[in-house]
Amino acid sequence: MYLLEELSQKYKRISIVGMAKNAGKTTALNYLIEEAMDEGIVLGITSTGRDGEGTDVVTGTDKPRVFLDTDTIVSVPTQLYELADAGLEIVKMTDYGSSLGQIMLCRVVSSGYVQVAGPVINAQHIEMCEEMLRLGAQLVLIDGAIDRKSIAAPGTSDAIILSTGAVLSRKMSKVVEETVHTVTLYRLPCLEDGQERDLLTGENGEKILLIKEGKVVTLDRSTGLGAGKYLDAQIDDTVSHVFVPGAFTHSVVADINPKKLKHLTFVLKDPTKIFFGPTMWNQFRKRGLVVKVLENIKVAAITVNPTSPSGYAFDHEELVNAMQEAIPDIPVIDVRM
Amino acid sequence: MSTANMRLANQKTRRETGLDYVVSAMNLLTPFGTKQVKDQKPFFPGQEEALEQELDRVAKMAETAEEHSKDIGILQETFMMIKDNTFTIERSENSVLTVVEIFEVKNLMLLMEKLRTLSGRIELPAEYVPEDITELLDVLDPGGDRLNTFYIYDSFSEKLAELRRDKKNMEREIRSRQKASRAEIKDKYGLMLTPKFDITVSKSDSDSIKKIEEISELTKSDEDYMSVTFVLVADDAVQEMLRQLDGITADIEEEELNVRERLSKEIHKYAGVLLGNCERIGRLDMILAKALYAKAHQCVRPEIVKEHIVEFEEGRHLQVEEIIKKKGGEYCPVGISLRDGVTCITGANMGGKTISLKLTGMVAILAQYGYFVPCKKARVGLSNFMQILIGDSQSIERGLSSFGSEMEELKEIIDNSKDRSLLLIDEIASGTNPVEGLALTKSIVDYLKTKTYISLITTHFETVTADKDVINMQVTGLANVDFDKLNREIRYANRRERINIIQKYMDYRLTRVDDAAEIPKDALNIAKMLGIDNSIIEKAKEYIV
Repeated sequence: MYLLEELSQKYKRISIVGMAKNAGKTTALNYLIEEAMDEGIVLGITSTGRDGEGTDVVTGTDKPRVFLDTDTIVSVPTQLYELADAGLEIVKMTDYGSSLGQIMLCRVVSSGYVQVAGPVINAQHIEMCEEMLRLGAQLVLIDGAIDRKSIAAPGTSDAIILSTGAVLSRKMSKVVEETVHTVTLYRLPCLEDGQERDLLTGENGEKILLIKEGKVVTLDRSTGLGAGKYLDAQIDDTVSHVFVPGAFTHSVVADINPKKLKHLTFVLKDPTKIFFGPTMWNQFRKRGLVVKVLENIKVAAITVNPTSPSGYAFDHEELVNAMQEAIPDIPVIDVRM
Repeated sequence: MSTANMRLANQKTRRETGLDYVVSAMNLLTPFGTKQVKDQKPFFPGQEEALEQELDRVAKMAETAEEHSKDIGILQETFMMIKDNTFTIERSENSVLTVVEIFEVKNLMLLMEKLRTLSGRIELPAEYVPEDITELLDVLDPGGDRLNTFYIYDSFSEKLAELRRDKKNMEREIRSRQKASRAEIKDKYGLMLTPKFDITVSKSDSDSIKKIEEISELTKSDEDYMSVTFVLVADDAVQEMLRQLDGITADIEEEELNVRERLSKEIHKYAGVLLGNCERIGRLDMILAKALYAKAHQCVRPEIVKEHIVEFEEGRHLQVEEIIKKKGGEYCPVGISLRDGVTCITGANMGGKTISLKLTGMVAILAQYGYFVPCKKARVGLSNFMQILIGDSQSIERGLSSFGSEMEELKEIIDNSKDRSLLLIDEIASGTNPVEGLALTKSIVDYLKTKTYISLITTHFETVTADKDVINMQVTGLANVDFDKLNREIRYANRRERINIIQKYMDYRLTRVDDAAEIPKDALNIAKMLGIDNSIIEKAKEYIV
């Protein structure tokens, strides 16, 4: 299977997103880099924060440095340049700052280990990925850091690779359940092109909006948090869509009369706004909750890490098989085998 | 007399006259230009010639910017890419620069080259044109690609190139030996190692583990509860090669350091030229910013004269003008003519007396710093000292009463004034009882009128102007206004509109009044227009009689 070849034909920028800290994100990145070497794909490597450092700053666990092949385009802050064991040709000094100095774009001239870091601001990140593609990268891999889920927001990348693993729970079934839930949310259907989409995207997107008899009504609230009862009072049979710009929690839906819920469609900016556990989600789905998003997230692959830093581990094959069975249409890769 | 340590105006005066405002509104694009503006010095009496030269530069640059607008655009874009690397250049004297630093110096040099080419095309005066640095560029860019990239390239040192070749060959050799071993293991035991030459086996598969443990070519490298990882053992030949590789890597690092050291020394050799170029770029940036600002704000070249005067027609206070323009209003320009002696500005409240005072300061101080001035025409004779005395929020923050801080500043002014001073005093002693306030104002005027100072004073005390030695400039104010029309317009207006309407009718221009005419009493009128209860106004009128 030529995984990278296939990915690079479909996507230009892929974020690697961890379901949790230590879900094996960096291991996944190294795996993909090795694959790319074998397949002869020129990569761009960047990160949303400092990554690839010797130890993980938050939990103190080992984190491998990233080994990069020649021609790879990589973003490195000035203070980490001298620490790189690879030969790096400085190609561009960007205007993006970081706590470790300005970010530079480098081309690997002789292969070796590099500590990667990229800009923190989303807009700068998008701009820099474009630059990496211009410099000859066929596919840009973005490694997220602390704020793992926000980088999954659409716009910063074309698709994500979701890293999951034993760290989520000591029960394998729970690991699979949580992962399936996340993938389900990420793949929620987009609101189709048409009148409703035009109506909802025509507003500034900061306030809760209703579509009532084909017309937009703007409510004076910007988040769903604690707005359940207020929303319930505003909704009657003539309301067809509710647009919630901020966090979408189960408490919003819980306060809405179940009868009204049945003919409503909730619309969110993107799936990262949903804060629902799998159980709650499934309960409300049964009661008729319909959620659509303006932009969803493509999951290009799932990587699993069967070992947890706290010491326990699952059988590799068993976990991969269970995961693949639960999500049959996305490739599942064991990064440790 | 040396002017090096002379101070023309204190910080407050620079701020209140609007010099700081103009400086911060100028579009400086390079760190060098910003530094030059921060260090800029005013021109003092006796330096008129140097000031004229500075004004010549601004005028010439304004013409050039007009003629070559496209190239000036490219110049500005180039400016924006410049970063301040002067510290790196200075550091090259005693230190070995890092790769990133050398990259930055090279980058700066490429920009200098670009500016040099551009300056030639625009035919800029030689004082702004960066000096030729081709020799040093050739050292940093031996390939002559003139690309904005940097690495310790093989072309810097033959020895380095050779070492790197050795390293590559050695690595290739090691890898091919390992690959051979991997193939062997596959043939012999049917095990497939990863590209990292390791293999991870589940612990549940104890047969395999037992089998692998017996293979001498593999050794256990990692183990957790569920799995064991084995890795290829390096044989003696590979061990030896790895040892050699370590040696080569150390040699490469040493040779890279040698190259950096050599390049740093070369950079240091040219440090003077490079720093000089930074200064030239800074000068160009500053003059261009001055010229473009003047053009964008319809400023004109002031005429600099020997005698001590400040004279202008249709002057506009730039900061106030911007606010009025934002509100969609039209600025009413003001002119004045001042020479040594005391001039008073009197007139209606809201008549712009304070703004006219600040405007006088702005024209005088801008001219003296070598800027064009916001007037139709201006003549300025240079001052040795300038100060504005005006109430501000800072004195309150310091816990002083307005009168207290006023007296403190007055003392400072009287102590520091010298021949050819420009003093701008806003309603002094208005914060105390009118009897003593008037007396104090009169005696200050008596003191100032004997001096070779230009003193401009705004006041409401009309007997001050009765003095025949004092020139009285009066704000026209609402004197020629059709009050019926104004009142009709104001009747239904809300609070903010009322102020705007009064401002619209107000004539801010100053007229010289020679006979001791009465100061127009507009305070009650304006209070009434702003909605103060009529009974209060009527009562006040009774008190006047």
